[in-house]
Amino acid sequence: MKWILFFGALIGLSVCGREKFFGDQVFRINVRNGDEISKLSQLVNSDNLKLNVWKSPSTFSRPVDVLVPSVSLQPVKSFLKSQGLEYSVTIKDLQALLDNEDEEMQHNEGQERSSNNFNYGAYHSLEAIYREMDSIAGDFPELATRVKIGHSFENRPMYVLKFSTAEGRQRRPAVWLNAGIHSREWISQATAIWTARKIASDYGKDPAITTILEKMDIFLLPVANPDGYVYTQTQNRLWRKTRSVNPGSPCIGADPNRNWNASFAGEGASDNPCSEIYHGPHANSEVEVKSVVDFIQEHGNFKCFIDLHSYSQLLMYPYGYTVKKAPDADELDEVARRAARALASLSGTTYQVGPTCTTVYPASGSSVDWAYDHDIKYAFTFELRDTGHYGFLLPANQIIPTAEETWLGLKTIMEHVRDNLY
Amino acid sequence: ARSKPHFFNFRAGSPSALRVLAAVLEGRATVNPKKGCQVDLVFTTDHYNPEVGEEHLGKCSARVFFRNQKPRPAINVTCTRLIEKNKRQEEDYLLYKHMKQLKTPLDVTSIPDSHGHIDPSLKPIWDLAFLGSSYVMWEKTTQFLHYYMAQISSVNQWKTNDDTIDFDYTVLLHEFSTQEIIPCRIHLGWYPGKPLKVKYHCQELQTPEEASGTEEGSAVAPTELNNF
Repeated sequence: MKWILFFGALIGLSVCGREKFFGDQVFRINVRNGDEISKLSQLVNSDNLKLNVWKSPSTFSRPVDVLVPSVSLQPVKSFLKSQGLEYSVTIKDLQALLDNEDEEMQHNEGQERSSNNFNYGAYHSLEAIYREMDSIAGDFPELATRVKIGHSFENRPMYVLKFSTAEGRQRRPAVWLNAGIHSREWISQATAIWTARKIASDYGKDPAITTILEKMDIFLLPVANPDGYVYTQTQNRLWRKTRSVNPGSPCIGADPNRNWNASFAGEGASDNPCSEIYHGPHANSEVEVKSVVDFIQEHGNFKCFIDLHSYSQLLMYPYGYTVKKAPDADELDEVARRAARALASLSGTTYQVGPTCTTVYPASGSSVDWAYDHDIKYAFTFELRDTGHYGFLLPANQIIPTAEETWLGLKTIMEHVRDNLY
Repeated sequence: ARSKPHFFNFRAGSPSALRVLAAVLEGRATVNPKKGCQVDLVFTTDHYNPEVGEEHLGKCSARVFFRNQKPRPAINVTCTRLIEKNKRQEEDYLLYKHMKQLKTPLDVTSIPDSHGHIDPSLKPIWDLAFLGSSYVMWEKTTQFLHYYMAQISSVNQWKTNDDTIDFDYTVLLHEFSTQEIIPCRIHLGWYPGKPLKVKYHCQELQTPEEASGTEEGSAVAPTELNNF
């Protein structure tokens, strides 16, 4: 096929060198058949126009992207018009775009440097995550503080990052972002620490997060189950529960997301310590859960609770412990749908939306149900990427894409909370 | 709907032509309390390995029958061809040649590793293991239990007797509703074009029927699932 030839010939002409591109534009040209492709090759092959093909069609009816130097704009437009070729201008000034990108890259480099080159596109040890939380607090002292809210069964600290623009001892309405409660769901902790850096960096720049933080505080717990997380790194990558001892049983740990006081020991949990969904001897028996419960209750002004899990690509709201419809289900469903749309807008990742019990399975004693039943209306569970291909073992190269799209969903929810404070 | 690709993949017996569920277009379930549950579905599939080929979506229609809470659903499924037969045979044969050349014993433990990485040279092993696991997962699927392949935790044996590739490995299956991780020892024999031979044994910690909570006899401490 002709287009393979001209594509091959021209792809060598890359824009690698540091030339300038003031006023150069990128045209997206629709080619619907072989005839139109030959017309386009004519154009592209003419030496004097100095056109550069960025994206050639792999099948018919896919558009071709061509870089047109500013001096060639007129002749190219005339040619396209005379040949009846449809096109649109996708980049109006390449140099402006490149300048923007440069600025952003320098900014990123600055960030990397100050954070001791913490690679957000990789999975990290507990110590590294804790150090990075400290680093964020250090880089943004007016906004962020690292707070110890308790400790784990094996006596590891439980740290949250508090983001607040409040003066003095104001107790603003707050958002709780929970992550890593099930230790094997590594994309959850990884997304959380990326989100922490994002919140801090974008405050004062992004109007959405800025206005959110002017009205509310955000508390972010990236590793809600530190013992489990360490265990997945050292002994068993697929460990889910806490690491507490169950007297009289050889089996370790309880499912921290069946341990909350919301229809505790109801349907969708197990009383067998060896089960992955063992609810524990009683509600809040797990110190990791109790630490969060105590903190939130003491604070008394939380309006939103979001729990990050993997995998399945779902965005859910209460209830898990019953099929009965939650009083605010309609509103929560509408918000969740908007959030899922925002998330999908980035890379097309599709999420299903619905109440936990019917969307995934009955589950009692869950964090989100507890939050909802304690007057924290905007309670959501995210099951992040993927849908089972890699499952828990999501490749590290998907961390940043996942975090970036999830951020859009989180912002949608937080914006709604900001505009509907009660 | 997820069990259909497992069954289809096993029956097709081709590691190059693995499919995954893309989207369910239509579905209808009929429940007979005495007999079981029948589900009729129309769904699309994608290539398991997204790099392979263009954006082709195979279309399938299937009828699945679950005898009351029993595994091994009866499945009748037909799909439009995703990969041309010749191309598939060619790719299978290339895979086969590549695998015959692999040095044994294979110096590898987990696939993927903890960070989700699979070395490109080991990808054919993963694909073949997935093929074998598909059979196991289909056999174990019920109305209430469905499985994913989480990780190959060990490759025990890899040899080629006569010309068949003899593959003995341990896979960790993730069952969704109980969230349990089930280690299964699988032994498969594969030769391109011939039906796959699969033998397996899964270590169950607790089965739904054993409501009294007795544990199955096992020499392995239940918490250390990886130590076989």
